[in-house]
Amino acid sequence: AEVEETLKRIQSHKGVIGTMVVNAEGIPIRTTLDNSTTVQYAGLLHQLTVKAKSTVRDIDPQNDLTFLRIRSKKHEIMVAPGNLAFNFICKASLYLTA
Amino acid sequence: MPSWRLVLCPDELLEQLTRETNPNRLPNRLVADTLEVSRDLHKEKSCQTASIATAEASAQVRKHADAQVQTEAPVPVTVLPLSQHDTSRLTAFLRRVEAMVIRELNKNWQSHAFDGFEVNWMEPQQTVSCLHTLGYPPAQGQGLHVTSVSWNATGSVLACAYGRLDDGDWSTLKSFVCAWNLDRRGLNPQQPSAVVEVPSAVMCLAFHPTQPSHVAGGLYSGEVVVWDMSRSEDPLLWRTGLTDDTHTDPVCQVIWLPEPRHSHRFRLLSAAADGKVLLWQGAGTGQLQLAEGFALLVQQLPRSTKLKKPSRGETEVGVTAVAFSSFDSSLFILGTEGGFPLKCSLAAEEVALTRMPSSVPLRAPAQFTFSPHGGPVYSVSYSPFHRNLFLSAGTDGHIHLYSVLQAQPLTSLQLSHKYLFAVRWSPVRPLVFAAASGEGDVQLFDLQKSSQKPTVSIVQTQDGSPVYCLEFNSQQTQLLAAGDANGTVKVWQLSTAFTEQGPRETEDLDQLAAEVAT
Repeated sequence: AEVEETLKRIQSHKGVIGTMVVNAEGIPIRTTLDNSTTVQYAGLLHQLTVKAKSTVRDIDPQNDLTFLRIRSKKHEIMVAPGNLAFNFICKASLYLTA
Repeated sequence: MPSWRLVLCPDELLEQLTRETNPNRLPNRLVADTLEVSRDLHKEKSCQTASIATAEASAQVRKHADAQVQTEAPVPVTVLPLSQHDTSRLTAFLRRVEAMVIRELNKNWQSHAFDGFEVNWMEPQQTVSCLHTLGYPPAQGQGLHVTSVSWNATGSVLACAYGRLDDGDWSTLKSFVCAWNLDRRGLNPQQPSAVVEVPSAVMCLAFHPTQPSHVAGGLYSGEVVVWDMSRSEDPLLWRTGLTDDTHTDPVCQVIWLPEPRHSHRFRLLSAAADGKVLLWQGAGTGQLQLAEGFALLVQQLPRSTKLKKPSRGETEVGVTAVAFSSFDSSLFILGTEGGFPLKCSLAAEEVALTRMPSSVPLRAPAQFTFSPHGGPVYSVSYSPFHRNLFLSAGTDGHIHLYSVLQAQPLTSLQLSHKYLFAVRWSPVRPLVFAAASGEGDVQLFDLQKSSQKPTVSIVQTQDGSPVYCLEFNSQQTQLLAAGDANGTVKVWQLSTAFTEQGPRETEDLDQLAAEVAT
């Protein structure tokens, strides 16, 4: 219940297109997008997040990745990595249309 | 018996000898009398190659191993349901992360960090340049025009059809369909990689959407033919023949349509000036059979706009152009000789009141009539990005941008004082289209930059002869092919401005459609 409420709060934020929660293996657990998009994003972004995390750790072992943002021409993808268990991926549009 | 000896001697000596021995006859190499040459004029030489060293060696594998590989069909990954234990962990995680995500989203809206930041990952091309100038000299020698160009499914082969657009002989005009493979090395612009000779002038071409070598053409005689360009002997695959079903006027456009139930098989739609729009299916023996047919009659046109009163008797409406919607596969727009575009549907049920013989009952497809141009419409093009917008180009030199929802055009642009022969939307930029004019130039319009005058005007022919057809390459989106009345096809490379989508274009197109409609 609280899980759904939290997700709904984020999803209803202005400009958010879709959100999903992915577990440590890259398998999506909760999503608001359609299945094929979800699977595609989860697979691609999981690898990128793991790489980003290891990059930050390699540069400074005391440091850790807090947030990852990928900005493209049409959208922005935001990834909030969790502990070993979960990652949070959110896709937002860059422009607000009336 | 005198003995003969053959002697090799230099020419001067030979002449001297023959002159001495047979002064009245012509000298020849074999001197008839025995002659002895005092001096020995031949030398001996011999040669021999140096000895070649050879050696023998053999090899053998000491050990080998066998391995087999097999792929498995990938198991589709589905969303996992959660167990109870995990739900509590998920709640804790989300509680932690939510504040951060909301904060970042808010920062996004207020951030000016990326304002005006544009990325160019590739070398931008600043201008439009001509990549290739292709022509087939035998066709150009006959004074044939390029009536139609088409790119194939992979975007690497360009085919053009030769014919004449101003007059046409029934019996004597032979024409050609030529194809060039632009990705091949050693491309000779005057030598197409495949040429098909056709007994009648070809008026339109269309490559098959998935088979890279099949191309359909509509002939001046009303026939529709499909060729396989990869076969050099006997490329003819299917033809309609001259039956009661075939068109009685030149075919103006052929289009491949996916079958409604089997989307990997295709049917061929042909439209001609006799008012018929026919759907052909390939039957086993190389014969195209009529699957469905439509006929347009003036009496059956919906009266959404005022048209000139038809004369007595049933009059067919000559069709000059067809464009299908990419959003709704049964909706299509027809351009007519009367200058008014028509909205039609493949699913129309009303029977056409025509006396033309046909093996399949003909239906009347028209649902809506748009307000006319000042002359026949030669080309229509449906926007690939917006479900309601289409362009039509006519002989009055104007381009009309219509919305399917209303009869009056949204805007009307005058591009030329002569005819306009072709108009096409760009497959990548929602606000860009190109038009081919009778003044010999190709005009590229970018509605984002200016809605009144063309952004770029490319001069194709030096002598002002008209450009008859143009096509964008949907696989290599920077290429545009245009064919003109001199029989040459030029492939233009567009600048990056025309091929990369800017950030807000789809929204701008929606806005254009909405604001001009009111």
